[in-house]
Amino acid sequence: MLTIDVRKQFFDKREASFDLELSVEIGSGFTVLTGPSGAGKTTLLKMISGIIRPDRGRIELDRKVFFESELRIDVPIRERQVGFVFQDYALFPHMTATENVCYGIKTGSSAERRDKALEMLALFHIEHIAARMPREMSGGEQQRVALARALASEPAIALLDEPLSAVDVETRGKLLDEVENAQERTGIPFIYVTHNEAEAARLGRQRITMRAGRIVEANVVAS
Amino acid sequence: MIWDALKLSLLVVSVATAIVGAVGLLFSYLLAKTEFRGKELLDAALTLPLVLPPTVTGYYLIVLLGRRGLIGYYIYEVTGWSFAFTWEGAVVAAVVVSLPLMIKASRASIESVGPQYELASYTLGKGRFETFLRVTLPLARRGIVAGLVLAFARALGEFGATLMIAGNIPGKTQTMPLAIYEAVASGNERQAQILALVLTALSIAAVYLTNKMSRTQAHG
Repeated sequence: MLTIDVRKQFFDKREASFDLELSVEIGSGFTVLTGPSGAGKTTLLKMISGIIRPDRGRIELDRKVFFESELRIDVPIRERQVGFVFQDYALFPHMTATENVCYGIKTGSSAERRDKALEMLALFHIEHIAARMPREMSGGEQQRVALARALASEPAIALLDEPLSAVDVETRGKLLDEVENAQERTGIPFIYVTHNEAEAARLGRQRITMRAGRIVEANVVAS
Repeated sequence: MIWDALKLSLLVVSVATAIVGAVGLLFSYLLAKTEFRGKELLDAALTLPLVLPPTVTGYYLIVLLGRRGLIGYYIYEVTGWSFAFTWEGAVVAAVVVSLPLMIKASRASIESVGPQYELASYTLGKGRFETFLRVTLPLARRGIVAGLVLAFARALGEFGATLMIAGNIPGKTQTMPLAIYEAVASGNERQAQILALVLTALSIAAVYLTNKMSRTQAHG
């Protein structure tokens, strides 16, 4: 269970003046976070992962406090065990698919970690590109490697920031199946951000809708 | 004289380049990726030797590190040794004048590494140091190598500051540029010619190496 109760104001010129006030509980399983661009979806993911710091409030995952302004708790990103699939994937350009996936695997000998990385690539049916560099991959392949990398580190939760926005419609349908499948097989809770209504409707078992920095609808199953 | 000067120059330049590499990377990272008070001041102070006349830089080195210098006094009191008129003094001069070139090149290339890669590394459980070694450094290597070569070349040609702090003692502190000066001043044209050719060859080799390295990196 992920509990969020935060406020954040942006005065930065780039972000315009934007104020975010969120209070929600998110259960395990698959949650879709939807809403128009600029609603604050990505900001919410970044606050959960520790990339952006809220002004005040509290973020807690499975009784582990990530952030608590009163107690001045702010757990560093690397200790939160939050898998993040970035919009542009952020695959390390100087590493092969296998090396990218290996990067976050914490335990085992190098052979064991390699085997695990290959297993994760197999989960997304991309064993054949194990030795390729990101620039030699299609958008869909990069997307799968990014997912495999995030899940291989065995995160407590996976945050997916519009992971399919850069792939073509045909690939998108297939990838959606694979994403759902990966969630079911790993049992890791997913928060999936999208502004695409069709995607949201298809995936939505638990659904949160945001608008202008507020949550306007939360349909979540507490677990 | 030629042989001594060449050996000494290579010693001074390799030690100086190693120091510039380590210190330069640290400062480049701090300037490129962190925010702290006095950052611009630090940047200005580190860049200053690039625009100061080398003799002025050398003068400040004497004020700092000379036998009666602000720091040098205490070093001399405790150890009976001073940077003045030693090859280590020549190293300090080479480091100070070549550090800004290293920092300019490597800071720019470290800055150009997209923050998303570092953030991805943090979310995968890695700390700052490991992220720097495994992500930032390899992605910024071209600028870093370029900075090192520039620093190497600048250190190799260092004259003014070296003369001020280390003097011009044949076999002890007389590096190649100083030897060339002395050869010309004493009418020893043949020697000056050889020394100049050796320095030119070393400089061309450095440029060739950088170009070659950046090309292979671009493909691999």
